[in-house]
Amino acid sequence: MKLSAIRPIALVLTRELAITGFLLLGVSFVVFIILYLSPGDPFSVLLEGQLSTGEARAGLREALGAPTAWYSRYLSWLANMLTGNFGSSIRTGLPVLSEVFRVGFNTLILTIGSLIITLAIAVPIALYSAVRGTNRISWPLTMFSYVISALPVFWLGYIVIYFFTHKLGLFPLAFGFSGGDQKYRWLYMLLPIFVLGVGNGTISEVIRFLRAEMARVMAEDYIRTARAKGASVWKHAFKEGLLIPVTEMIASKIPFILGGAVIVEQVFNWPGMGRMAWQAAQDRDYPVIMGIAILAAVLVRMGSLLQSVVYVAVNPRAAEE
Amino acid sequence: MIRYTQISGEITELSDLPFWKKAGAVDLAYVGYGLVIVTLVVASYCLGSLNLLPHNPDDIDLELMMAPPLTPGHLLGTDFMGRDMLSRLIVGIQAYFLPGLLAVLISLVFGTVFGVLAGYRGGRSDTVITYINNLVDSFPRLVLILLVIAAFKPDIYYIMLVVGLTNVPVVASLVKGKILFLKQKNFIEADISLGLPTSTIILQHILWHNCRAALIIQATLGMAEAILMETSLSYLGFGVQEPTPSWGNMVQAGANYFMQGKFWPSTAPALAILFTILGFHLLGDGLNNLLEGKRDA
Repeated sequence: MKLSAIRPIALVLTRELAITGFLLLGVSFVVFIILYLSPGDPFSVLLEGQLSTGEARAGLREALGAPTAWYSRYLSWLANMLTGNFGSSIRTGLPVLSEVFRVGFNTLILTIGSLIITLAIAVPIALYSAVRGTNRISWPLTMFSYVISALPVFWLGYIVIYFFTHKLGLFPLAFGFSGGDQKYRWLYMLLPIFVLGVGNGTISEVIRFLRAEMARVMAEDYIRTARAKGASVWKHAFKEGLLIPVTEMIASKIPFILGGAVIVEQVFNWPGMGRMAWQAAQDRDYPVIMGIAILAAVLVRMGSLLQSVVYVAVNPRAAEE
Repeated sequence: MIRYTQISGEITELSDLPFWKKAGAVDLAYVGYGLVIVTLVVASYCLGSLNLLPHNPDDIDLELMMAPPLTPGHLLGTDFMGRDMLSRLIVGIQAYFLPGLLAVLISLVFGTVFGVLAGYRGGRSDTVITYINNLVDSFPRLVLILLVIAAFKPDIYYIMLVVGLTNVPVVASLVKGKILFLKQKNFIEADISLGLPTSTIILQHILWHNCRAALIIQATLGMAEAILMETSLSYLGFGVQEPTPSWGNMVQAGANYFMQGKFWPSTAPALAILFTILGFHLLGDGLNNLLEGKRDA
């Protein structure tokens, strides 16, 4: 790559990193507000049935050295978080950050794997119907994508478990994350990745978006020129018609896939962040779920960072705007 | 007479034919199916609240557990406690209906206000609203809902509040896009030079004449999303609790019998979810193609 190609990317990367940092600050603030408004404050548990006046409560806070005003509470909480101290789980007493990182990798595998499955299904259908228009093959495929997207993902999970594990015995049911034959660990992962990839409810939207973008690009003058002079249409259409829309879809669908992961991890007993979030919500273990929410937001922001970098790499003029 | 309108950069002809005459058969089929589903949902809600059901949905009949569909007296069979499936499916609508409407209403009202502020005022309010939109988009919705559940309590109205609020950015960017388009066409400039009051421009000319269709479409999609979200949460055990039926907890309760090869108790509600969501999605898309003149299928 020439220097002239790297400069706009570096420019955008620094700008986007600043925006990301600013957004994550907002994310932490939203999480804090939810926790601040929640009734289950540790001090109210401590004072239950005793001093119930607000004055006494504030007095106790002061005596114990806890900050009283909401902004100083937020700042001390934020400072803790920035040094990596997300607090510890109410249920297990273990530090949240290391616990979330321990299972976060499993969720990352599940999320990335199912993103690949979604795209592997959506891209061919979108390209085919963008180039050929609606015909006898593309219409049923589109309809199929609608049906798939409306399917409740947990029911799809049960069906798949019943047929592939219970009836055919192709895949083991128990997930070998602890014990078992580690060599076949990847085999356990295929089913959940497939179910989340197919059933996360975004396929029809992804197909529609990719098809519309590709059809728009195919109608551009430069494609007609390419075709007229005998150059490869595909090569000319690839960047604007496929690469940019695909990264845009990846960035905007990550939150949905992470949400779907909560359910699929539950169905398949997959030891990931989603299952941990579910357990935490059951136990009202808010430090854990707060850590997960912030980490998930970081993942989402990374996705949109990737999107803007790809966009500028393809179209360096965009960096000047 | 032929009018011209500009949609996504292309000049298209708008004939004076009513929209159902120039519509494609596919779109009409989509909208037709969607309207059937909406009618069924509303009818089920009314039947359920008037208590006009084939059976009492809570009546346990231990003699007749897990009956297949078309059993005499039970059109859709019975579940694992011998309760009538059809009645439970009808009553299950109530778990979604009002909360879903609430979520849609929240997203439409706040989204419209934010969108108008960002598009019409522009400048600093646009920056702030773009920031808020990005902020809301950063959270996976289900994780945010689980956080709210952990911090407060698992209540369907809290959940739908979050669903509604997280849908605000979608509506806001939609309205903003419309306004920017109208500005580009000097539509708003013309209004201002005519001396029309701002309220008339925004309420009548922008929202009523130009955003109406898009907002209706967004409402149907929002309803589908609310149903899917409630279903997911019921499955996770945070939605409506047994014995009150909701489609999500029916699927989950039936799933315990899945490995014995008894699919029906969990498949019936799953199919109900599937056809309903499909109906709302197709209605939204069909209306989009009919009213907005977009054709992408």
